[in-house]
Amino acid sequence: MKKENGSFALKLCVAICLALFASNSVSQACTTKVGAVLPTSVDWGRPIAETAQFVVEQVNESGGVSGCKIEMILRDTQVDPKVGVDAAKALVDLDGVQLLLGAVSSGVSMPILTSVSVPSKVMQMSCCSSSTAFSKLAEDGKTKGLWYRTFATTGVQSAVGAKVAKDRGFKTVAILYKNDDWGQDLNRLITRDFGALGIKVTSAVAINDGQPSYKAEVTNALSGNPEALYLGLYPNEGTAAVREWLSLGGTQNMIMANSLKSEDFRENVGLQYLDNAFGTDTASPRVASADEFVKLYKNHFGKEPSGPGLANSYDATMIALLAMEAAGKGATGDQIASQVSRVTDPEGTPITADAAGFKAARTILAEGGNVMYQGATGNVRFDKNGDVSAPAVVWKFTDTGTKEIEYLSLTEVDEFIASMN
Amino acid sequence: MIGIFSYIVFFATIASILAIAVLGLNLQWGNTGLFNGGVVAFFGAGAYGTLLLGGSPQPDHIAGFELFYPIALIGGMAIAGILAWVVGILTLKMRHDYLAISTFGVAVAFENLMRNAEWLGGGAKGLRGFERPFRESLGDGFLYNSVFLILVLFCLLATYWFLEYLVSSPFGRLLRAIREDENAARSLGKNPAQIRLTAFVCGSVIMGLAGGLYGTFYAFVSPQDVLPTLTFQIWAMLIVGGAGNNKGAVLGAFLIWAAWTFSGWALSRFAPIEAQLYTGSIQYVLIGLVIVTMLLWRPQGLFPERLVVSQSSLR
Repeated sequence: MKKENGSFALKLCVAICLALFASNSVSQACTTKVGAVLPTSVDWGRPIAETAQFVVEQVNESGGVSGCKIEMILRDTQVDPKVGVDAAKALVDLDGVQLLLGAVSSGVSMPILTSVSVPSKVMQMSCCSSSTAFSKLAEDGKTKGLWYRTFATTGVQSAVGAKVAKDRGFKTVAILYKNDDWGQDLNRLITRDFGALGIKVTSAVAINDGQPSYKAEVTNALSGNPEALYLGLYPNEGTAAVREWLSLGGTQNMIMANSLKSEDFRENVGLQYLDNAFGTDTASPRVASADEFVKLYKNHFGKEPSGPGLANSYDATMIALLAMEAAGKGATGDQIASQVSRVTDPEGTPITADAAGFKAARTILAEGGNVMYQGATGNVRFDKNGDVSAPAVVWKFTDTGTKEIEYLSLTEVDEFIASMN
Repeated sequence: MIGIFSYIVFFATIASILAIAVLGLNLQWGNTGLFNGGVVAFFGAGAYGTLLLGGSPQPDHIAGFELFYPIALIGGMAIAGILAWVVGILTLKMRHDYLAISTFGVAVAFENLMRNAEWLGGGAKGLRGFERPFRESLGDGFLYNSVFLILVLFCLLATYWFLEYLVSSPFGRLLRAIREDENAARSLGKNPAQIRLTAFVCGSVIMGLAGGLYGTFYAFVSPQDVLPTLTFQIWAMLIVGGAGNNKGAVLGAFLIWAAWTFSGWALSRFAPIEAQLYTGSIQYVLIGLVIVTMLLWRPQGLFPERLVVSQSSLR
């Protein structure tokens, strides 16, 4: 099912695209389809899809994968599992894709993985699904090695959040967390980590989406009179909750998860209130290609890559396409998935995360060598469950975006996590 | 070609499962006039019930009694029925919009319960650990999906025949009598409260069956499966198909679900690359347009209810 189901309009479109790209390479006489299942109808989902598209453009610019132009077919999940699974199934069955990128919500990624990717032996690479359920599924051997995600497990994020609180000398902290799988996981982990460091959690309050007011929740969080506030929220409800928090006299000492690394949040809360707000993130801008990502992104989109999941989406797409290149022409999903270790090999030749890096990787891979992908989130390395651990940064908001306060290398993160246990 | 068949089987499975739920709503709204705004609660109760009863034990919550699959499925339906009975006793005194609002509240409460009660249904992470029946011998692929489709179609047909029989029976006439004029029905010595409760529970058990099959098919259910969107989808299917007509309910389910998915497929295929990012939003507009157009063009639905004076004129 790698052939197109021959519709005239599609062929015409392909022909036009080919004509446009003809100048780049003589070998691009074919098209390989990859599927993307992302929530494009949601405000924060669209930039994630845009970033994935940007990677595809660059790879095509460098000559495509195995001499073929990549066509990314983008489907919207509407954050509805039924719709997402149907879209994934259509991509696999009707378009014959061997690679699925997505989804964002774990509640959508999971049924796609169990009822589409694994039965059809298609590789699935998610940028942003964070649920610990995936690690468990992989441990049970039910992902068949087809599942990868570039979103570092919540453990890193919570450990660094706890470290910030310890370093700033906070003794009591209140937690506001998004009431979904990610938020619940994060809350459980950070409560444990605070406890391990002797920091008292005065209250942990779940925040549901789309409420007109969070007064009750915020009042509850304020009641223990905490020295600091930990925020495991997304920009929308984060803005609303923090505004109420501040207006009710809550402290400006805040620790934020990477999901709040958003310009909307900064502007809507107001920079003047965020002076003592520290964010954590798993990105590692310690390699040239990470700065390159920010530069590339700014050049292309004219703004800072400050939404949630953008760097992860970039790396997810790039690594998946690199693995596809390594697997060779006409590779099936499980063959592509088995090549991921070859392109994220810590012993391999370092490559950058752009068109030039892709070109370099192509030569090395063709000669049978391995490469080490240095991406927007650092030197991505997957464990046996398809999870990534990552170095971490502590950041702060500035006039133009965010600035880094502290950097923790992979070893420092691992040591710190070990010291708490 | 096998890909197209594989997709059609998949599509038909989901559409048939939704059609079962629409049939359940048709009994409640189409025949009895009960405005159930919380379809998803009963659908979800069936799904969670089936997976809890039939799944393997999990370390962090009570799931996993590993019951024989048909018993788990019937158990899921029973849980939906019990929920409906409790909700029905509390809310069926209310009429129309009041009933809609209170049942909607029940559905939101159900979603929040499942999202928060980690010991019960795994919380927001969802409920895993369910092994689909006969997976060992049939595998995961096309064969399994085909066999499962046959099971779902069997359930759909059984539900359809049952409801056709029910609405043409004296009990069905009683339902319509209550729908049209409750006082008149009471004046004839009938007990509308009890009949309404029976119809409500019966329709909810059917929704529970749909939910159970849905959970089985994905071998996974999470709070994201029980968002109010599903209630809206099922209502749209019934209204477009024709409230009060079982044929219409089934057709409406297939039609709306096809519009829902086909619009996304067509947009991803034919929209220009620059517009691809916005297809998600365009799709919402298209789905809304289909529903509004149907309401303007044919408010009674594609297959309106056929009211007959007596049974003899049917034959």
